Amino acid sequence: MDIELIHRPGNTAAKVKLQQGETCTAESGAMIAMSGNMDVTTTTHKKKSGGVLKALKRMVAGESLFLNHFEPKSGDGEVWFGANLAGDMMTYNLDNESLIVQGGSFMACEDSVEIDLGWQGFKSFLSGESVFWVNLKGKGQVLLNSFGAIYPVEVDGEYIVDSGHIVAFNETLDFSITKAGKSWLHSFLGGEGLVCKFQGKGTVWCQSHNPGSFGWTLSPGLKPRKA
Amino acid sequence: MKAEIKGGSAFSYLDIELDAGEQITAESDAMSSMSAELDMATRPNGSVFTALLKKLLGGETFFINRFTNNTSGPCKITLVQPTPGEIRCVELNGDSLCLQPGAFMAATDGVTLGLRWAGLTSWIAREGLFKLVVSGNGKVWYGAYGALLEREVDGEFIVDTSHLVSYDPSLKLKLQLAGGLFSSFFGGEGLVTRVEGKGKIVIQTRSVSGLVSWINPKLY
Amino acid sequence: MNTSAYQVRVTGELNPGVSRESAVEAFSKLFKVANEKAENIFSKAPVVVKKGVDEATANKIQRALDNIGVQSAVEMATAEQVPQAQAQNEQKSEQSTNGSTLERAIERASNAPLKQEVHATSRLVEEQPGYQFKIEGQPDYAFLTVNIPAEKTLRVEASAMATMDTNLVMKTKAKGGLGRLLTSESIFINEFTSQNGPGEIGIAPASPGDLAHVYLRDETIFLQNSAFVASDMNVVVETKWQGLTKGFFSGESLFLIRCSGNGDLWFNTYGGMIMLDVDGDYVVDTSNIVAFTEGLDYKITKVGGYKSLFFSGEGFVCRFSGKGKVWIQTRSVQAFASWMYPYRPVKKKG
Repeated sequence: MDIELIHRPGNTAAKVKLQQGETCTAESGAMIAMSGNMDVTTTTHKKKSGGVLKALKRMVAGESLFLNHFEPKSGDGEVWFGANLAGDMMTYNLDNESLIVQGGSFMACEDSVEIDLGWQGFKSFLSGESVFWVNLKGKGQVLLNSFGAIYPVEVDGEYIVDSGHIVAFNETLDFSITKAGKSWLHSFLGGEGLVCKFQGKGTVWCQSHNPGSFGWTLSPGLKPRKA
Repeated sequence: MKAEIKGGSAFSYLDIELDAGEQITAESDAMSSMSAELDMATRPNGSVFTALLKKLLGGETFFINRFTNNTSGPCKITLVQPTPGEIRCVELNGDSLCLQPGAFMAATDGVTLGLRWAGLTSWIAREGLFKLVVSGNGKVWYGAYGALLEREVDGEFIVDTSHLVSYDPSLKLKLQLAGGLFSSFFGGEGLVTRVEGKGKIVIQTRSVSGLVSWINPKLY
Repeated sequence: MNTSAYQVRVTGELNPGVSRESAVEAFSKLFKVANEKAENIFSKAPVVVKKGVDEATANKIQRALDNIGVQSAVEMATAEQVPQAQAQNEQKSEQSTNGSTLERAIERASNAPLKQEVHATSRLVEEQPGYQFKIEGQPDYAFLTVNIPAEKTLRVEASAMATMDTNLVMKTKAKGGLGRLLTSESIFINEFTSQNGPGEIGIAPASPGDLAHVYLRDETIFLQNSAFVASDMNVVVETKWQGLTKGFFSGESLFLIRCSGNGDLWFNTYGGMIMLDVDGDYVVDTSNIVAFTEGLDYKITKVGGYKSLFFSGEGFVCRFSGKGKVWIQTRSVQAFASWMYPYRPVKKKG
């Protein structure tokens, strides 16, 4: 499986080349184009393993219930993936470790990677982040997407990331909810509210922009919806 | 202080390294991530009265945040605007620059953010009665939705009202119809701004209002 | 020397979706050389294909190459390099009687006196006739600036004008009729005419994305319903009913815009743009189609089995077959629209 990212970081698309016999598992709705020889199967679970329970757990994490598996029928094939929102993508090579990914940021992976639910406790609910996270485990390439450009921060000690800006982090890191300013009052008045403080040694991948901020900027002009 | 704009025009963000004792002021909610050692203090954007004016009339936030490095080593902070789009840096040496409401993002010490009467024309164009003026000595970062392009005006130039981001204070802005009465209303251009004089303007290649009116018919 | 210190190097890389064969073919057509010579260039890449030109010309060549899907780099030759290269050229041209390669063919052109060079350039310009334009802010917020010659007219999508010279006059026409009325497009279109000399117009499409330009020579290209940005008045723009089955299942594109005739045409995307050279068959999600050339056959099908139809999130896809070009966008409008749902104000009752 060979992944090439195009048009970074604005409206990134991933071109995944598959050799015969290789399978790529992707979130439903991610495919934008593919060669004519691509075989697509839809399941609630990983091919040949897992079950509905896993799928439900994945759905709880803000991902879709169904997964699509792409496999070229004869010869090599290619498939293009795009996210729902404008933004960046990144690849990560898992080497028998796990990566904790914000719900909604998972896009695709090799079929050797296990997709599971990552529970970060109630603190993530308080921070305005998703309560549930996706835990990618095993060995193989994974493809993640974000709103805004992705920048890695090497944490050694402590680092603060505003809520809504986390894409993924190594399991070696731990985070807690804290205030951005000196006092709680300042933090709320300053519009920063609650932030996530990462501790330990590892990498946290941040997205430069917050989809919520963008959404609320557009909000006043949008066509009203029915209650 | 080291400052670098990254992320291209699509998603510009500002990476800043503050040396010991340095500080930077940013509009509220601009912080995306930062060293845990940085101190953040919040205060109104000017006096309570002018801060309120800036919020109501200048499209800026009532509070601004001041980040100070009280440690002995360098500290990092990443700042960003609420919408995707490009960020620009301008260095002021006693001169000033007019900004569209909402364009201001961050500034170093020595820069003041003021309000000036913009006239009724500007109000009719839904740009607000007042215009934001940054002046003083130091660096200012501002941005808007879309890519930012510089245009040199010498004489007259017409800009769609929602695409103007910043301009030299010496330039005069006038409001006019885009075409005849019929065209102006049905052609979707409505009112446009006529820029007169000699100086630089910066335009944004997309606008939030344009985006909203493009997506609205597609919402059910 | 300063003005002609630029060179264009074919990197050997192709734009996404462009096959080598089609690039070679287009390349040989563009530079009017035999197929084998063009093939030679690509096997030897990176190769400098044009030397000793000014920056504008170099950029023009690069754009022409980009149009056919060939990636290239514009470089400034250093002061020593230029004379050296020319010396080499002279040597080569002496012995060029036997077995000329494309490099030599192009080097001969650059080796010629400046006047002829200008002539050679203008031939390249003739390859890309039409209005002068530039595109900035690519690929995410592309902005088009067109220079409209005196007394000429440009047709522009409603609401897209961002800047213009004061000597441009705008007229609004009702256009497209039923098709545009039924879909979410404005039924009006603006025409900008330059009076008393040429004038410039800056065009910003509403959706965040890229812009592409094609010059039609008695050709036809189909655009997805909201992709039209601007065109020459000699391009015939009409809406085409796709038929109930094709139209209904393809989401928002119940109608396609059919552009034919002669002249410039600009179209835009939501998201990044990717050009695919189709030879055989290729599947594209219906919401990611931007444009395709005439001659391609397309049908709306489901992806995978019936389970996939309902649960894959892909729904119906468009299967193109034949030989031609398809432009796709990396994002879909519907996905953006549904993301917006929680941010929309709630309608008050009554």
